[in-house]
Amino acid sequence: MAVPGWLERLRAAEKTALLQDGRRKVHYLFPDGKEMAEEYDVKTSELLVRKWRVKNALGAVSPWQTEVGEPTASAGGVLGSELIKESSSNPIFMRKDTKTSFQWRIRNLPYPKDVYSVSVDQSERCLIVRTTNKKYYKKFSIPDMDRYQLPLNSSALNFAYANCTLIITYQKPKEVLDAEEELQRELKKADHGGSAHVGVLIKLPQGPAKTESPVQTPLF
Amino acid sequence: MATTAATTKVPEVRDVTRIERIGEWRRGAPGRPATSLFLAQVSQGMVGQLAARRAAGVVLGIREERWRAQADRGPAGTAKATPWVWGMAQALGPCPTLAGRILSGDEQDGSPDPGLPQVHRGSDKVRVEETEIIEGEVVEIQIDRPATGTGSKVGKLTLKTTEMETIYDLGTKMIESLTKEKVQAGDVITIDKATGKISKLGPLPLWVPLKLAHPSRTKPFPGPDGELQKRKEVVHTVSLHEIDVINSRTQGFLALFSGDTGEIKSEVREQINAKVAEWREEGKAEIIPGVLFIDEVHMLDIESFSFLNRALESDMAPVLIMATNRGITRIRGTSYQSPHGIPIDLLDRLLIVSTTPYSEKDTKQILRIRCEEEDVEMSEDAYTVLTRIGLETSLRYAIQLITAASLVCRKRKGTEVQVDDIKRVYSLFLDESRSTQYMKEYQDAFLFNELSETGRRHPRAPALGPRGGGG
Repeated sequence: MAVPGWLERLRAAEKTALLQDGRRKVHYLFPDGKEMAEEYDVKTSELLVRKWRVKNALGAVSPWQTEVGEPTASAGGVLGSELIKESSSNPIFMRKDTKTSFQWRIRNLPYPKDVYSVSVDQSERCLIVRTTNKKYYKKFSIPDMDRYQLPLNSSALNFAYANCTLIITYQKPKEVLDAEEELQRELKKADHGGSAHVGVLIKLPQGPAKTESPVQTPLF
Repeated sequence: MATTAATTKVPEVRDVTRIERIGEWRRGAPGRPATSLFLAQVSQGMVGQLAARRAAGVVLGIREERWRAQADRGPAGTAKATPWVWGMAQALGPCPTLAGRILSGDEQDGSPDPGLPQVHRGSDKVRVEETEIIEGEVVEIQIDRPATGTGSKVGKLTLKTTEMETIYDLGTKMIESLTKEKVQAGDVITIDKATGKISKLGPLPLWVPLKLAHPSRTKPFPGPDGELQKRKEVVHTVSLHEIDVINSRTQGFLALFSGDTGEIKSEVREQINAKVAEWREEGKAEIIPGVLFIDEVHMLDIESFSFLNRALESDMAPVLIMATNRGITRIRGTSYQSPHGIPIDLLDRLLIVSTTPYSEKDTKQILRIRCEEEDVEMSEDAYTVLTRIGLETSLRYAIQLITAASLVCRKRKGTEVQVDDIKRVYSLFLDESRSTQYMKEYQDAFLFNELSETGRRHPRAPALGPRGGGG
């Protein structure tokens, strides 16, 4: 398989896991300083939240960038009110995956159903939402597909509109499904013994976890 | 709440530039290329002082070599301080006003507070970083003011591209800068989201009859397309001090904007220096040598001088320019006398440029430029009289009279300031030496006079006192 580059990177990352509020929270610290945080539903193993954080050139930590899940409200505060922010009447864009597909929801879209069109741009590897009344336009990529280096396929894409919400669905290809299943297996291995407690921090093993038994080092 | 729609916001905006006071030493419009800034007799609003300006030209030339410090001395009113800053700022290239930083010695209260190191670090610039910008065409600006006149303004801005439209909520600062930039419907603007900096790219042809303005240009300037928000790699200029702040505390950027930076440890500064040096090696960042200008330098105390002494030896030292009008005087914080009130060991590290009093021709030239700047018409005779006044009293006084005289002239419905107008304001407003003379004559009439030979004090002010001063 030519794709497991991403899985290798996950294995190399320093991982910390935590069970809390019925969610499995996993924090990855990559060797290049990037941080990723994921939250899974414990029962269904659905991905609820995935966000990223990087350090910029000056050493300051940027705020979390949400990839999957509801974006956390910006800190606001003094700075926020002084400058500029998007009005709450604007469409809200978020990604909310299911087990078998990537899914995006755009809420607050009051325009009639037939103005929307969604297409795949192969050259830029992204999906484009257009409106014929020129009120909304969004270009977004599927980071998962980029990580596994898979081509985008317009037949996997469909969309629906109801209740001021546009739902765009892209079927996960088989490679992604396989990889996610493997990841879930490895995450679950870490749970032995620890899963009963609420809020237990577990350092996940680094390197190929398949061959060795999971090592648990509670932090407190 | 009074709501003003986009179309009616304009009149209030227009007044902003008119209120601007013309700085006392500003003698010409900036903006021309500064190639021979310091060599022509009259250039960039600088008149006369040929020798001092030649020296300044040399300063600019060797600034690249990170040469260190210079002092500027001369009698009062000989264009030491402010014209220098102006001239240097205009010649310094890419970021003129950023590079020059003014720390007035007067503001130092004698304590070795964090101010000086901070300003010192703030004057060197490093260019790195990226930022997120919004680019779009303005559809509508709506600003709501509270009906009571107090409280913060809120507003909405609608931007569009060829593909979409978005509404933004505006904060107070953003409203201010939109007003200052005179942004109107139809303008294409970019907004830096982090700093709130607005730049106007110009109106679209839809709103300006382009053929009339530029007959040769037939291709219309295309509007922005695609999404409104763009992440752009932009070269960003930050000062060392700003990097210090970001790295010294966890709240980072917030501290920078609120101004509460607290103490920055010297270890942090050393780390930053090492990091920046590393970036420079890798070609990631570029260091722009800063210029630190300290006016009234004799007001710094011995501790500040000691700091400067040491700071000048560091690798990151900016070019330091100091100005003073003192002769041999006491160094603040000690009982020792020294030239210019600067310790000898620091003086030793400086190059000294001397300025001289203006000649009659220069004075006239300055007044001419000044009148032009203030839009005052003046007759030739009035110029001569004013020049005379400028030579005998002070140039500053003569400059102050221009505005006053033009007001008198306007009152009698004249178009050109005449000798009589000058005479009138000359009798209305005293200059420093006449005022001193007056006070010497009538000292007995003032409260708490200390010049009285007999030492006799007047406990109560006699009738003449309060009517004294202005006439």
